[in-house]
Amino acid sequence: MRNFLIRGVAAGAIALLSLTACSQRSEEGTTSAGTTEAAKGFPADSLIGVALPAKTSENWVLAGDLFTDGLKEAGFQSDVQYAGSSTTVADQQSQIQAMVTKGAKVIVIGATDAAQLSTQVEAAKAAGASVIAYDRLIKNTQGVDFYVAYDNFKVGQLQGQALLDGMKAKKPEGPYTIELFSGSSDDNNSAVFFDGAMSVLKPQIDNGTLVVGSGQTDIKQTAIDAWKPENAQRRMDSLLTSTYTSKTLDGVLSPNDTLARAILTSIKGAGKPLPIVTGQDSEVESIKSIMAGEQYSTINKDTRNLVKQTIQMVKDLQAGKQPEINDTKSYDNGVKVVPSYLLEPQIVTKDNAAEAYANDPNLAPLTK
Amino acid sequence: MSRVKELQKSLFGGTTSNARQFGMIFTLVAIVLLFEILTNGLTLNPGNLISLVSQYSYILILAIGMLMVIVAGHIDLSVGSIAAFVGIVVAKVMQDYSLPWFVAILVGLAVGALIGAWQGFWVAYVGVPAFIVTLAGMMLFRGGNQFIGNANTIPVPEGFRVIGAGFLPEIGPDTGYNNPTLLLGLVACVAIVIREWRGRRTRREMGADVAPMWISVIRVAVPLVVVVFATLQFAGGRVGTSFPVSGIILAVLVVIYSFITRNTAGGRHIYAVGGNARAAELSGVKLKRVNFMVMMNMSILAALAGMIFVARSAASGPQDGIGWELDAIAAVFIGGAAVSGGLGTISGSIVGGLVMAVLNNGLQLLGVGSDRVQIIKGLVLLLAVAFDVYNKKQGRFSVIESLMRPFRRDTPAPASPAEAEQERGKSPVAG
Amino acid sequence: MSDAPVLLEMRSITKEFPGVKALSDVNLVVRAGEIHAIAGENGAGKSTLMKVLSGVYPYGSYSGQILYQGSESRFSDIRASENAGIVIIHQELALVPGLSITENIFLGNEPRRGGVIDWKTANRRAAELMAMVGLEEDPDTLIGDIGVGKQQLVEIAKAFAKNVKLLILDEPTAALNEDDSQHLLGLMREFRQRGITSIIISHKLNEIAETADSITILRDGQTIETLDIKADGVDEDRIVRGMVGRELHSRFPDHTPNIGEVFFEVRDWTVRHPIAAERLVSKNASFTVRRGEIVGFAGLMGAGRTELAMSIFGRSYGTYVSGQIIKDGQEIVIKSVSDAIAHGLAYVSEDRKSIGLNLLDDIKTSVVSAKLSKVISHGVIDQVREHRAAEDYRKSLRVKAPSVDDPVTTLSGGNQQKVVLAKWMFTDPDLLILDEPTRGIDVGAKYEIYGIIQRLADQGKGVVVISSELPELIGLCDRIYTVFEGTITGDIARADADPELLLKQMTSVKKAQRS
Repeated sequence: MRNFLIRGVAAGAIALLSLTACSQRSEEGTTSAGTTEAAKGFPADSLIGVALPAKTSENWVLAGDLFTDGLKEAGFQSDVQYAGSSTTVADQQSQIQAMVTKGAKVIVIGATDAAQLSTQVEAAKAAGASVIAYDRLIKNTQGVDFYVAYDNFKVGQLQGQALLDGMKAKKPEGPYTIELFSGSSDDNNSAVFFDGAMSVLKPQIDNGTLVVGSGQTDIKQTAIDAWKPENAQRRMDSLLTSTYTSKTLDGVLSPNDTLARAILTSIKGAGKPLPIVTGQDSEVESIKSIMAGEQYSTINKDTRNLVKQTIQMVKDLQAGKQPEINDTKSYDNGVKVVPSYLLEPQIVTKDNAAEAYANDPNLAPLTK
Repeated sequence: MSRVKELQKSLFGGTTSNARQFGMIFTLVAIVLLFEILTNGLTLNPGNLISLVSQYSYILILAIGMLMVIVAGHIDLSVGSIAAFVGIVVAKVMQDYSLPWFVAILVGLAVGALIGAWQGFWVAYVGVPAFIVTLAGMMLFRGGNQFIGNANTIPVPEGFRVIGAGFLPEIGPDTGYNNPTLLLGLVACVAIVIREWRGRRTRREMGADVAPMWISVIRVAVPLVVVVFATLQFAGGRVGTSFPVSGIILAVLVVIYSFITRNTAGGRHIYAVGGNARAAELSGVKLKRVNFMVMMNMSILAALAGMIFVARSAASGPQDGIGWELDAIAAVFIGGAAVSGGLGTISGSIVGGLVMAVLNNGLQLLGVGSDRVQIIKGLVLLLAVAFDVYNKKQGRFSVIESLMRPFRRDTPAPASPAEAEQERGKSPVAG
Repeated sequence: MSDAPVLLEMRSITKEFPGVKALSDVNLVVRAGEIHAIAGENGAGKSTLMKVLSGVYPYGSYSGQILYQGSESRFSDIRASENAGIVIIHQELALVPGLSITENIFLGNEPRRGGVIDWKTANRRAAELMAMVGLEEDPDTLIGDIGVGKQQLVEIAKAFAKNVKLLILDEPTAALNEDDSQHLLGLMREFRQRGITSIIISHKLNEIAETADSITILRDGQTIETLDIKADGVDEDRIVRGMVGRELHSRFPDHTPNIGEVFFEVRDWTVRHPIAAERLVSKNASFTVRRGEIVGFAGLMGAGRTELAMSIFGRSYGTYVSGQIIKDGQEIVIKSVSDAIAHGLAYVSEDRKSIGLNLLDDIKTSVVSAKLSKVISHGVIDQVREHRAAEDYRKSLRVKAPSVDDPVTTLSGGNQQKVVLAKWMFTDPDLLILDEPTRGIDVGAKYEIYGIIQRLADQGKGVVVISSELPELIGLCDRIYTVFEGTITGDIARADADPELLLKQMTSVKKAQRS
């Protein structure tokens, strides 16, 4: 019996030790390029990973399709993934990890929760991949190389201005009663939109032109968890019962189209006259709504342009060039200022819709 | 007894629950090999194995607790919310009071224990079904997470991140491998051999049949090969990586809890309560205490899982823990536990959890979208349990036997008619 | 009788399970209008045969022929056999407790009009059927609110609602008390007069001898013989001989009691019903047990014997009101089962399967389950000691199982009961309370269990036996207490015990007191 024991242990030990002789452990992960500097470039048919949040907004679905097509056109292999709808963060983490394993050279990340990806981003970095934060800035990590997005502060400003313009057009004289909505608090952009809008609205609130009916002006009060329309609808429902049984609501600041439609649904359900409601993202249903005179405005942040710009960055990285950057100060993710490229958004109302979407095959027909 | 049957019996004890585990191990191996081929070797590549372990260790830790809850005849739906709640509490105390990370971990475990005591109280002493108590807990602690965190994502300091994203240090001579991982592998090898050796000694002392030597050799050799291979893969990853710290935590818990469930009175009592609560009570088992402990233990493990996830994510967020309970429950059932309680093992649940994990990982490596991944996982869960139900209806399970039947030389000893009668018929009394 | 036409003939039925022949060339002939009994030990193949007949094992899964009403029947499932008028009533009743009598009678067979249940017809027919089986209850009463005896009658009414021609009763009186059993057997004789054929499977051989016209005996999956009860002058002993294949000289082993001092005494034990708090299930019960003595408790179903026993055993039933337990001259307080075990008490419950055993366990786990501490060292279960302990009992109690690693579900009723006994013997008790220790167990195993009980007494332990079978109590016990509605009404020494006296004490004494 003792023999058996000894022999067993010996076999294990010998196997272990003899095999240690043939290690091929790499210092920089599995990639042969093995470089953290983008400047050296990489093969033109490399794998590019794109990790996007759950398919809760049309915009992400469209972006995914554009990435798939655009990267293919540019000669890359692509792996475009959406996080699952229930376990978003964990899903995205493992998807990014899988892309690293597969040896992706660039990973484009539209973060689900921008603060919970640092382990994966750093793993990507360690494996020699470049990381581009797409639309949402990834926080608290050195690993992010670039940030590409529409200028979200500007988006907020445009939304605020549109809200004011819309209400004035309807009723020339104030004061106007409004409600404020903001996006999910785990999305870095929510606060930027909100701050942008408030930079326009705050002076008007202070001088009494605008009255926030419920008094809820803090971003924590106005946040809609996970950007979920049902949460927005629920909040609007409660506001209507608590505040607007007798008062008239003139306008609602909504950070995006999905929430705008949820807000409109709620108001319609309560049988109230429709206020001016802003939006963002140019979603099909919202364009229809705008053309029907329900939702007032949306923002055209043409996803095509954003994806195009991102793919351009990937191409530059592949060629070993420094990608084009137009902002090197504004976007601090907590540990570093991320070099960014910002695109200009455009406000769209019923008046300029036909013009704004003339080049969009999906939206153009809706505006006629 | 045929050789195959003998092997099956000596490997897995021959009961149906164990038989499903046996089946699941084969499924696991098959899935691993399938993906290894489909992904051109990426599945078993060091980097992927390392991330696989660190991605799923917290779910597997939950599965350990969930196994005990389910064996005792309950269910816990609140684990995800508890994990999220503890995660935010820990992140918050480190941020606001700058507690050192190890103190924060103790705080987290204590909060978990408190929550567990709360839930255990309702389940065991008031008698509210665990389904209801934990459904309430699911809402309660999800709300608690949002209340404390204001639905914000709160980062955690570097030191804390070790339990979720940490690796063993690179020490000792340059062997081309991570030395501590090699050492762990060696310990595992020795443990496997000693275990088998002690098992044989015990059987002999009992005066029971000792399995033939060739079976022991197989039982040692197969795991040894797996362990050696795994050790080399884990130790051979990128410099700075090793077998993940969260994986070590998991392994330690698996060893401890397997021992508790199998070899202590407390473990026995959990199975007794789940198998037949009234019979257990009339045998002197303190029903309430067992139920209380099981629920409390689950919450402590949920707290640990939550902290590991937060450590891995470098921050505690409002979406943490969503859907975890379902992953853990699925792992336990795939791993052979009975829905009605009383049956199931820790190792089975771990295998069940690994099946789901490898499936998830493999499909992601193949670039399959999360929508389709969920569909596939749903089907796997359904089929695994349906397979077992079907087998129970057909009598005794035997994948292997059905595969090997053409090669069988000797016929099995006929069971007594009474035995056959019991197996087919529902009533052992009427004959 | 033997000239009546044959209603059912099962010809050379063979049914195999992988590796085992459960039935081998079994023949059964049942004539129209008779009561035909099937007897055999557990595992003899009775249930399998009935499952073949009722289509549970469909045509094709067995070999042989079933001739029914003159032509061959090939039933694919239970529905097919029911449509042909063959209805089987199982030991475990298939009734829904939350539905009314009417709803249960017509469950799955509801009279309809235009797709909607026609309650008028249903209630009218239910009343007819209930009258037929002699069930006097409001048809709207919930099944859960009536006793087992009446539930059995509902099952039979349900069978009649399906237009039964051949009624099969599997252990119909196992759970019934004497009165209900007699009523049921009377009912069967009534049906015979109406030309309905019945098959009865029963362990109660006296019932068979009294009621049946003919009997088929099975042993080890084979037909041993078919006897005409009257013509062949069949009595219980004759049946037993056929079943076990040998002569059983006595149904009880010889035993010379060696009775010592009183060591266990219960005084004025009063217990409330757990839900109906105004009801006392035990009223000032006092009794004593001597060392080496086997004490019987006789009573009708619901008399409160089990309740008394369980409440003494760690207050496992009802709410304790008052009373003392004195053991070895000292008062002891038992508040939980673990206290009871620590004080040397053991209680073997009447319902092995639902509260006596964890059916998921193997033999060795079951044996040590009530006193795990005996096999634990340093907090760890010593597998060697566990195995040895179980192995010792397997041998000494002659449990028919190849190994103590086998699950208890693979054992027959008698062997399961031995495992339960082993489990409690393992706790080293001074007093064992055995509740219906031989229920549902065949003759051979009963004999062995009696032997075990006697051996326990000879070791100086006190044994309390609760049983509904008076012959068992009279044959086994040194002294018998009678219980009626929670009160102990008599204390009868073995020498004086006869069924008549016991029955009187179990019923009329109390009635006399009441008036």
